[in-house]
Amino acid sequence: MSEHHHDHDHDHDHDRTVKPMVNEITDFEVLEIALRELCIEKGLFTAADHRLFTEFAEQIGPTPAARLVARAWLDPEFKHLALTDPLAASKQVGVDWLDPTGFGTPSDFAAFKILENTPTIHHVIVCALCSCYPRPILGNSPEWYRTPNYRRRIVRWPRQVLSEFGLVLPDNVEVRVEDSNQKHRFMVMPLRPRGTDGWTEEQLAEIITRDCLIGVALPTPGVTTNVITKTRPAIRGIAH
Amino acid sequence: MSTAAERAEQLALISRLQATYPEVPEWPMPDQMTHDHFLAYMKTPQDVGGELDVPATYENKEEEQWELMTYVLCEVLGMRGIWVSEERRRIGNVDVGRAVYLGIPYYARWLWSVGRLLLEKGYLSWGELTERLAEVQGRYAGGLAGRLPDAQPKSEGDGSNVRRNAHHLEAAGIGDPQIFAGKAGSAKFKAGDRVRVRELPALFYTRTPEYVRGAEGVIAEVTYESPAPEDETWDRPEAAPEWFYIVRFKQCELWHSYTGPMIDTLQTEIPERWLEAAR
Repeated sequence: MSEHHHDHDHDHDHDRTVKPMVNEITDFEVLEIALRELCIEKGLFTAADHRLFTEFAEQIGPTPAARLVARAWLDPEFKHLALTDPLAASKQVGVDWLDPTGFGTPSDFAAFKILENTPTIHHVIVCALCSCYPRPILGNSPEWYRTPNYRRRIVRWPRQVLSEFGLVLPDNVEVRVEDSNQKHRFMVMPLRPRGTDGWTEEQLAEIITRDCLIGVALPTPGVTTNVITKTRPAIRGIAH
Repeated sequence: MSTAAERAEQLALISRLQATYPEVPEWPMPDQMTHDHFLAYMKTPQDVGGELDVPATYENKEEEQWELMTYVLCEVLGMRGIWVSEERRRIGNVDVGRAVYLGIPYYARWLWSVGRLLLEKGYLSWGELTERLAEVQGRYAGGLAGRLPDAQPKSEGDGSNVRRNAHHLEAAGIGDPQIFAGKAGSAKFKAGDRVRVRELPALFYTRTPEYVRGAEGVIAEVTYESPAPEDETWDRPEAAPEWFYIVRFKQCELWHSYTGPMIDTLQTEIPERWLEAAR
């Protein structure tokens, strides 16, 4: 990262049209650093604790959730397990809800429920109070899921919000909004779409996007990306 | 160093930050305060479900390094028994007040909650925090010059005398809410029972959304036993666990002039104290 100098010989109009190189530490970075240093110095946790949780946080993502649903589509016994003992089913795709603390992540708990879509019921999840989301199996929630806009509207105007994601459901399909605001975390198990006969677990998992598991999209052969792809860049994104 | 003109400019900026209804004078006299306005000011600002809004462009966002570090900071404090996450949710989502709730980034409020927690519970003094903030600012004065900001603890405390909750040890190997199983007695309701959500005058904190209060629904599932969030949020380990229920509501009954079909439903989880039998 190079230094940004105020060069008065420079064309100022041009300066204003390019994205400025952000060279100043932000208020948030200062606060995070100060708090983390003081916590470690006072022994509230150790640097090793912090590293352990960082490693956990860096490896979570939607892959195991997609595998779980793909396997459930192929194996009725596994589907039964997923719907009756979702913590045991999660383990079979590599997610132990007691990780990494031994009692679950402090913010996600160890109460997980998979909502099965049927030809007559479509589920969609939200946390109207904050951003409760099944992090251990689905990774961090997308920014739009946390916004007051989504949270205000999906509980009251679900069909309008779903239509903004391109999902229009017929009037004979019940839309069931699951507002996950206590210790349960929820994920949607969508219906297996037509046109996927003979597909392997890997092929099926590719079309089970994160948005399908939130309930704002349906799995569709040929579609392997989320509905919202527009992404705001970070000032100093996650360092790997 | 700021000049008098810069200080005046900042005061002018702050003067534009509105936090009250424009039709009522600020600093109202008691006779100028209606019950509805009182409820609006007292509503926990994180409870946004059903508030009016218009379609907006939804977008993703790359995560900042400090955002990941903030998430980890909050979770590690939970892992080592300094708080439970419900304390964070109140401090960072409700105690901030409406202006800060809507005015600063999501993870900035997580960070704010850590500072508040450590001060309120006596782990840090204001002086320690403030001097460290100034020190960190000073380290990077004049710009980052190619450096990535990072923490540089001067030492590592041994932590043996730090006050911690019992929960982080008791729940290890068992899980939360599993640790509370069998501790709430018999459940008052069963699946299929009709219930009404009580309209309690909830001040300061709750996780029972305003939009279901007073509404009737059906118990869809008896879920688990746990202390209510209204107890967990104030670190009351002696609080008795109670039963939680997933309650199903008909959207056409929940919302005045619901625009979708009659079959649409909404489910949410509610602790027993908030429910009463309905016919």
